[in-house]
Amino acid sequence: MKGRSLAAGAIALLAMAGADAPAADKPVTIGLEIPLSPPGDPSAGQLIRRGGELAVEYVNNEMKGIIGGKPIALAIQDSQGRTEAGIAGYRRLVGEEQVIGVTGFFHSSVNIAVNEVAKELGVPTIATQTSAADVTAKHYDVAFRTHAIDPIRVQTFVDFFQKQNYKRISLVAETTDYGIGIAEETERQNDEKKLGLALQKITFDHSATDLTPQLLQVKAFKPDLVVNIGVGQPLDLMIDQAETIGLLPQTPMLLSYDAPVRPQYWQLHPKNGNGIYFIAYYSPRQKLSDLGEWFAKRYQEKFNEPPVYSSLNGFGDVMILAEAADQAKSTDPKAIIKALEAGTFKNWAASPVTFPRAPGVYWHNWSPPILILKYTEPGQDWRNATLVLEHVGTAP
Amino acid sequence: MFTTELFVQTLIAGVTIGVLYALMALGITFIYSIVKMINWAMGEFYMIGSYLQYMLVVSLLGPDLWYLAIPIAGLGVFILGAIVEPILIKPMFTRSIERKDDYATVVTIALLLLLRNLATGLGGPYQRTPGSDLPTVMLGPLPQSGARFAAFVFALVAIALFYLLLRKTWFGLALRAAAQSRVGVETAGVNILRLDQMAFGIGVALAGIAGALLAPVFLVFPTNGVVTTVKGFEIIVIGGLGSIPGALIAGVLLGVVESLGAAFISSPYQNVYGFLLVIAILLVRPTGLFGERGRLV
Repeated sequence: MKGRSLAAGAIALLAMAGADAPAADKPVTIGLEIPLSPPGDPSAGQLIRRGGELAVEYVNNEMKGIIGGKPIALAIQDSQGRTEAGIAGYRRLVGEEQVIGVTGFFHSSVNIAVNEVAKELGVPTIATQTSAADVTAKHYDVAFRTHAIDPIRVQTFVDFFQKQNYKRISLVAETTDYGIGIAEETERQNDEKKLGLALQKITFDHSATDLTPQLLQVKAFKPDLVVNIGVGQPLDLMIDQAETIGLLPQTPMLLSYDAPVRPQYWQLHPKNGNGIYFIAYYSPRQKLSDLGEWFAKRYQEKFNEPPVYSSLNGFGDVMILAEAADQAKSTDPKAIIKALEAGTFKNWAASPVTFPRAPGVYWHNWSPPILILKYTEPGQDWRNATLVLEHVGTAP
Repeated sequence: MFTTELFVQTLIAGVTIGVLYALMALGITFIYSIVKMINWAMGEFYMIGSYLQYMLVVSLLGPDLWYLAIPIAGLGVFILGAIVEPILIKPMFTRSIERKDDYATVVTIALLLLLRNLATGLGGPYQRTPGSDLPTVMLGPLPQSGARFAAFVFALVAIALFYLLLRKTWFGLALRAAAQSRVGVETAGVNILRLDQMAFGIGVALAGIAGALLAPVFLVFPTNGVVTTVKGFEIIVIGGLGSIPGALIAGVLLGVVESLGAAFISSPYQNVYGFLLVIAILLVRPTGLFGERGRLV
């Protein structure tokens, strides 16, 4: 009997040792939820993924791991830019992959929907490129963001309208949280600050392919500027169809995000892409952190092109989650949320990242500077685009 | 905002997009007439047509010879359809499958997923365009891109040729006979299974031609066929299943309703107006404008 107990004890010990040995090397998993197929914006998803993968390389090879040498790994889910796919992906990341946090979000609707589930499951999210107010304005403990929010983005628009003396503005926005959020924020700031702008707001279904009826209305309004608030395919269709009906290039167009920095912009718009104004969040002339410098160099080596903001922020957000776990000395999501709120983090930007419990939409939010650039010749490298305006980022 | 000029411009925009919708729907209604099945993967054949056009123009022919790429893309999709049909569709008639409609739904949805994922895997999820050097054309008071106007004209030509094929050739006669009675055609000595294969190939080729024509207008990416499928089914309900004139008129009606609704009622509900039209037609005339009530012999 005694012999049997000893044997059982030995087996149990061996089993425990066996279970422990791989646990020491078991990577800490970080979730990446990105659009990899339409109707989402798959180009953005791929760029964010590149950044996330380089963050894994940095932590595992340069930092030699976190929490005493544990490597990190990514678990990736395709949100497809759809809320239901986003929620399913988040549940899978939490339930099956046991991630310590989820980042990479590009579509506001997806991020907002996922945050409702995250509130219940308790695993934090960091918004990589979603700007709708509700991502952080609901003051959820789990919701963090490192991207330009609607009020700051719209303030940049307003600075631009005033600088260029534009008075009649057409806002052509898709009916998503992103599109509606920006259009309504512009109307709000116009009323609140008594800017006296004549605004025309036209919204359209994200899946619509023929925007001619909407653009004919815009043309009839005779605006000084058209603000293109489409994401992915609608953004490109609007440029083409506006040119066809003679709206472009006579009336300038401002794109609400940094799609033109991507290599395929000039492939899609070789003739009508010139003269476009667009929002950007990064310029190569900016000072970067030492992490950012490493990333820019490694990205150029690996992909043979300079990094763009989506990749930089994808890198930065995975780094922030890894740093938070390292500071918390734990992979428990609650400890990571605490660390995110209390700590100071490094991402690609020169200024440190913090997530204060600030009022309103600025809750748990860090924002990069927002720039407005303009292409002045066909095929121009975005790094040489004219800097029209720079608006300081982060919380006020 | 309402002005007469704006109304006319919007109306013309609706008619042109409507003709393109009709071309998208023609294949669905044609395949249903002959093979008596709904092909849920129709949009994916549209997508393949657009990719073929893109590859031919960018890698082989150049933008000046874009018009040569269209029949080649159509032929490519026809061959693909003629290969797929004996493998997936023919067993409906050669094996003892009890629920033929369910079988057709399952295999064509599986085909849809396969083709869509194959396109993403091979070409990536990115948007592409073959580009176009055609100048802008004035259609009354409405400027139209050259590519869109060319697609409009080619679509009308394709629909007319298809109509002539059905009305003026022996092959068309056989197809029309098969649409009326498969058994009757068989007793007249026609190989109905071969006819199914040809009909499926022609039907998907029509979608492929639509994809090729619209590649520079609505861009090329793995899910660009979704709109085709949705609009296609709206059109066959409005026009009547199996009717070619019905498809053309329903396409134009749908395009006009969507455009005018988006411009003068409320823009975000552009896609809803089509569904409202579908509901209205179903209430007033359940068989569609040109559809006929089915008969059991």
